[in-house]
Amino acid sequence: MPTMEEYAKQPTAQRLERLTRTGEQLAAAIKGQSDAALSRRPDGKNWAAKEVVCHLRDTEESFGARFAQILAMDTDPRMIGADADRLAEERQYLRNDAGEALAAFRKRREETLATLRSLVGEQWKKGGIHATRGRMTLDDFLTLMAWHDDNHLDQLQRALEGKA
Amino acid sequence: MPFSYYARLSRSQQAIYRKSDEIVEVRLPQPAALHPAVESLTTALASEDRVTVQHATDRLIRGLTDALGLPAVEVQVLAARPHAKWGELHGLYTVERGKTPTIQLWMRTAKQRRVVAFRTYLRTLLHEVGHHLDYALLHLRDSYHTEGFYKRESSLFKQLVPERRTPWPTVDAWFRRSPDERLARLAQTPDQIRTAIAGRGEAALGRRPAPQAWAPTEIVCYLRDAEEMFGRRFADILAMDEPALPEAGPAERWASERQYLRHDPALALAHFRRRRGETLETLIALAPEAWQRGGEHPQRGRLTIDLLVALMAWHDDNHLEQLTRALEGRP
Repeated sequence: MPTMEEYAKQPTAQRLERLTRTGEQLAAAIKGQSDAALSRRPDGKNWAAKEVVCHLRDTEESFGARFAQILAMDTDPRMIGADADRLAEERQYLRNDAGEALAAFRKRREETLATLRSLVGEQWKKGGIHATRGRMTLDDFLTLMAWHDDNHLDQLQRALEGKA
Repeated sequence: MPFSYYARLSRSQQAIYRKSDEIVEVRLPQPAALHPAVESLTTALASEDRVTVQHATDRLIRGLTDALGLPAVEVQVLAARPHAKWGELHGLYTVERGKTPTIQLWMRTAKQRRVVAFRTYLRTLLHEVGHHLDYALLHLRDSYHTEGFYKRESSLFKQLVPERRTPWPTVDAWFRRSPDERLARLAQTPDQIRTAIAGRGEAALGRRPAPQAWAPTEIVCYLRDAEEMFGRRFADILAMDEPALPEAGPAERWASERQYLRHDPALALAHFRRRRGETLETLIALAPEAWQRGGEHPQRGRLTIDLLVALMAWHDDNHLEQLTRALEGRP
C-alpha cells in the first residue's frame, strides 16, 4: 500500500485512475457477505464493514463541498474537520444497507472525479487550511483521497475478518 | 453639529460648509433603471479583471451623470491602492479648469492586493461622485466632507442597492423578531418534536403519507443533519471573513443517500437535541455585532448569522408543521 509521500510523487492521471477503481474494489469486498457480517464490529470501538462504506460515502460528499469552497474563494478557506465517529453514530451507519451506501458512494465519486478532471494548471494549486495538516492544495487532496481509499479498503477487509 | 475642522475654516468657507450640510439627499429620477448597471459591476468585480471593472464602472457613471443631467466625469480604475502611514487611498476626485474631471478608483487593497468588496467599491465610487455633484449639481465652490455630504452619498447608495429583504418572504417575519425571541423559538423545537412523536412506534413513524412526502422519521433525521450543516456554516462564518458557503443537500438526496427511513427516530431526536444545544451555545456566546458576519451562498447570496437564525426559526416551524401533517397521514 503506497504511503502518502509515494502517492504524492505519482502523476495526476495515475492518482485519478486509482480513485476510479475504489467503487469496484468495495463491491468485490462486500459481495456475498450477509448483513450480519457487514454489521459486525471487530471490537467495541472499531467500525464494521458497512460503517466503513458509509464513511467513504459521506467523506466523498464533504470532499465535494470542500473543493467547491476552495474553488469559489480567492483566499484559502479554513477547513473545519468533522468528527467521523460522531457522524457514524449520528447517521446510524449500522442501520444502513451497505449495497445502497456503496451505490451512493459511487455516484458521489463520479461527481468528485468530474470536478477534479475539469481542473486546469494553476487551479490544482488552489487550497485550504486543514485543521491538522496545514495548507493543502487540491493536488494534495487528490493524494490524500488515494491514500484514504487504500486505508479504508484495508480496514474493511480486516473488519470482515474480525480484525481491528 | 459640524465636524471639528469647521472652526478652522474662513467665514466664506463656513458658508459653503453649512450649505453642503443642509442638503441630505440626492434623488435619482429612476433608480431602478440603473440597477442592471450595478448588477454588472458586481459581476465585473467578481471577475477580478481590471478592464472588465473599468467598463462596468464607465457604464454606471454614464448612467448616473445622464440621470442627473451632469457634465461627464472620467473614471480610471486602477489596481492596488497606494498606501502610506495614514492608511490606504480608496479613491480620488480631481478637477482642473478646462478639463474633464477625473475619478480614480483602486480595486485592490494595498497590502494583500485583494479585490475590494462590491459594497466598499460602490461606496468609494459614490463618494467621489459626491464631490462631482457638489460642484456640478449643487454649485458649491468647494466640496467638504460634511454630515450632509455623507448622507447624500448614502442616499445614492440606498437607491442603487435597495435594502435587501430576506430571500424568503416567509422568513421575514422571523427576521423582524428580536434575537432573543428567535433563540427562544429554537430552544423549544426538540421538546415539540418529542411531544409530537410520543407514543408512536417506529413503524408508524417510518410511514410516508404519500410516495413523495417524507415520513416523520425522515423529518427528524433531516432536522438533525440540517443542524449539523447550520453549525458548520456558523463555524465557517466565524472562522473566516466572508467565506463561500458550500451548497448543501439537496434534502431529498440526503434522505435517500443516508437512508433516513432505516434510522431510529428516537435516537435521531436525541442527536438533534444535542446538536441544537451546541448551536444555541454558540449563538448565545456571540457579541451582537458578530450576528452581522456572513458568507456568500451560491444561490441565496450573502447570508449573515442574523439571517441564518431567522431562517432556522422558520425552518423549524415549517418542518414541525410537515411533521404534524405526516403523523396525520397527510402529505
